[in-house]
Amino acid sequence: MPKGEALGEFEYLVILAVVRLGANAYGMRVRQEIAERTGRDVTIGAVYATLERLTDKGLLAASMSDPTPERGGRAKRSFTLTGAGMEAANRARQDLVNMLDGLRFPLPGRTS
Amino acid sequence: MKPPGWAQLVLWAVAGENEAEFVAGDLYEEFLLLCAERDRSAASRWYVRQVLRSAGTLLGLRFRSGEAAHLLAAALIAVAMPLLLLDRLWSFVYSHIPLKDGLERAPGFWAANLVCVCACAALCGSLAHSLPRAAGVALAAAVGAGCALWCSAATAPFWWAGLVILAASASSMAVFAWRRPR
Repeated sequence: MPKGEALGEFEYLVILAVVRLGANAYGMRVRQEIAERTGRDVTIGAVYATLERLTDKGLLAASMSDPTPERGGRAKRSFTLTGAGMEAANRARQDLVNMLDGLRFPLPGRTS
Repeated sequence: MKPPGWAQLVLWAVAGENEAEFVAGDLYEEFLLLCAERDRSAASRWYVRQVLRSAGTLLGLRFRSGEAAHLLAAALIAVAMPLLLLDRLWSFVYSHIPLKDGLERAPGFWAANLVCVCACAALCGSLAHSLPRAAGVALAAAVGAGCALWCSAATAPFWWAGLVILAASASSMAVFAWRRPR
């Protein structure tokens, strides 16, 4: 696999959040989804930078919606997974499964 | 209910035309939710924290996303400003050393200039997303270095000024080439 094609950890989380949210996947929802499911304090800037990068790589497609009052009259940009994005997500999952195969959890070490 | 005005201004300043509307809309939507769930002051604190913590990322995104003029201006300023500040610092230091006053300066001063120029130009080069933009950044860095040396209180040897200007453009191009996805 050429360098730059593999998904980073946060990129993978963002892609999974987009898949979970379906048609409702936009910056704020993606941020909330990751924060709620992982407990991470994610910033909107980090989410947008990752969404932008994934769109540039062709793994996500962006579409604009009309401005709405609950957004202070501002437009919304929603994201959907492309075919290449699905392939990348499946490949990342398979890589993870392969690496976890045979390991027992929790790994030994300090638990505190 | 509205988020703090100064935080909105900061957001518009750092996010740029491409992203500001979407980011501001998302933050505003969540701000209203938080106002309903908690209270306005907690929501305002959350909003400000999000803006401040996202500022660096959004600024980087702005430079990468097509606002080339900002990248060129940033490259020029990022190279020129530290050089001018170094010059002022050394002027102050030399004014306190008897018999060292004057325009001649130690090689360490010029070496510090060179390291500073290379670091700043390399940082700007790493933000360039395409070869034409990287070339523009290299040119802007060279112009920035030239302007700073021209405005400097100390007179640099001619060959040294040339080296600094060359190093500015070379380091930005080198970092761009190194970071470019293959």
